[in-house]
Amino acid sequence: MNRLDGRVAIITGAGQGIGKAIALGMAREGAAVVIAEINGGNAQEVQSELQESGQRALAVPTDVSREESVLAMVERCLKEFGRIDILVNNAGIYPVSPVEEMAEEEWNRVIGTNLIGTFLCSKAVVPRLLEQRWGRIINMTSGRAFQGAKDGAHYAASKAGIIGFTKALALELALCGVTVNAICPGVTDTAQPRGHRTEEELYGMAARIPLGRIGQVDDLVGPAIFLASDAAGFVTGQTVLVNGGAIMW
Amino acid sequence: MSSADKKVAVVSGGAGGIGAAVVSRLAQADFIPIILDKDEAAGREVLAELGRQEGRGLCIALDATKKSDVQRAFDRVLADYRRVDVLVNLAGGALYAKLIQDFALREWREIIDVNLKSTFLCCQAVFPIMKAQRQGAIINTASNYAVTGSASRTAYSAAKAGIIAFTKSLAAELAPYGVRANVIAPGRTATPRVMGNYDAAGWAAASSQIPMGRTAEPAEIAEGVAFLAGDESLYMTGQTLHVNGGMVMP
Ligand SMILES: NC(=O)c1ccc[n+]([C@@H]2O[C@H](COP(=O)([O-])OP(=O)(O)OC[C@H]3O[C@@H](n4cnc5c(N)ncnc54)[C@H](O)[C@@H]3O)[C@@H](O)[C@H]2O)c1
Ligand SMILES: NC(=O)c1ccc[n+]([C@@H]2O[C@H](COP(=O)([O-])OP(=O)(O)OC[C@H]3O[C@@H](n4cnc5c(N)ncnc54)[C@H](O)[C@@H]3O)[C@@H](O)[C@H]2O)c1
Repeated sequence: MNRLDGRVAIITGAGQGIGKAIALGMAREGAAVVIAEINGGNAQEVQSELQESGQRALAVPTDVSREESVLAMVERCLKEFGRIDILVNNAGIYPVSPVEEMAEEEWNRVIGTNLIGTFLCSKAVVPRLLEQRWGRIINMTSGRAFQGAKDGAHYAASKAGIIGFTKALALELALCGVTVNAICPGVTDTAQPRGHRTEEELYGMAARIPLGRIGQVDDLVGPAIFLASDAAGFVTGQTVLVNGGAIMW
Repeated sequence: MSSADKKVAVVSGGAGGIGAAVVSRLAQADFIPIILDKDEAAGREVLAELGRQEGRGLCIALDATKKSDVQRAFDRVLADYRRVDVLVNLAGGALYAKLIQDFALREWREIIDVNLKSTFLCCQAVFPIMKAQRQGAIINTASNYAVTGSASRTAYSAAKAGIIAFTKSLAAELAPYGVRANVIAPGRTATPRVMGNYDAAGWAAASSQIPMGRTAEPAEIAEGVAFLAGDESLYMTGQTLHVNGGMVMP
């Protein structure tokens, strides 16, 4: 018996990294997955990989920061699978620049993808979740929400904003069988931290993490499946930190 | 399969309302459950309901606030099963609802001891076992009151907040050995003990204050414990999982 049998899950930014691992994990648990990803090539590859192992998957090239793109993606999902049960707002970007030099365009792009993208995708699926009185929304935040980020003020703001948004939406949907939670990964071995750290710095961080290693994408899969499953039906508005003890909340 | 191949979960306070659900859930996940509780009869009852075979589960009577009792219990577990994979500390409770000026020191200390000291003693006793195994998961129990506080529950709130900070410190000490320590923080949960403090109208009013409009079932707390006890949370340590229907979002 799989924990997500019969469920349909949309995972944004699932073309690589953490989102891809969650998509594969949820598919293993029986869910049909939608790979809503701006990089169409990567999305297609993940779809093929899943379909080759007999799982139901749909790649939809999507820009989560654009409402019409999000609405079209949700339409495609409904047309293909007929329902939506789970949304994982995982797409995120992390460019670096100090506030003093930060271009307004870059600010808009980070807030637009990480925070507004989370809002737009949530808004687009909520009517469906309310209709069936069952739903799960899982948002990816970051330790930067708690500790700030040098040269990443927009990223830190967007990720702290996601926590506030998670709590507020959890309250709005609490009586309707829909839970809204956040997962906070620690430094995880993907492309993202490589945008602002050298290989040496990245692995050197292990020394400062109590469990002695940086995260791997698979570390996030179990927590995401738990929050998406029936087992976590009374967990809402929470932030689950998966970081080897780097930040204890 | 002989019992030597099976993983062992020790649940202090395992005879209680949440405890019984946790014991049953962990047994379902294939752990041999061992109950440590001062209420031996209730503990045996919990095991009987699981249909546990002789040697496949155990209830040890103890006062979890007494170091010698706790040590004796873990010596017994080690002698019989040779390992402890999971420790869940649930012994505890608010015991009294009193304003501070009415709290006798003896009562205040009793609450600190049954919640915080029992947690410390069981963790201390299991530390060398898990350290030697280089594997293990500890789950301590806090409460939403650890975060919000509560009038007439000064000792309980302090004890439960203490458990969170204690667990973070312990997590840092245990991490080099690959052993994890996390906290489960139940919101208001429908156990006989807690429901006994309310009349029907009071319980309904208390439930309606919770965003999800109801209290937790013990089985829902047990699911959170099982998540923290299992491999799905392998990269989590020092964290607090709140299962409270949105009542508190720290
Ligand atoms: N890796 C880490 O150390 C780490 C730590 C904390 C939080 N996170 C968060 O986890 C999430 C996943 O990160 P990752 O490490 O896998 O990063 P990643 O860069 O490997 O993957 C992010 C994915 O999102 C996609 N994406 C970007 N903009 C998009 C848009 N507008 N619409 C749709 N898709 C878009 C990218 O193409 C990419 O496939 C992000 O939200 C990130 O902020 C990562
Ligand atoms: N029920 C709730 O609403 C709720 C909410 C938040 C936290 N909690 C916490 O969850 C835990 C379990 O609560 P419950 O509702 O199941 O309570 P309970 O009273 O049903 O269970 C507590 C168990 O601990 C045992 N115990 C008490 N003192 C002991 C001692 N000195 N030595 C050994 N055993 C002892 C009792 O015999 C009982 O079996 C407690 O720590 C409680 O504070 C409960």
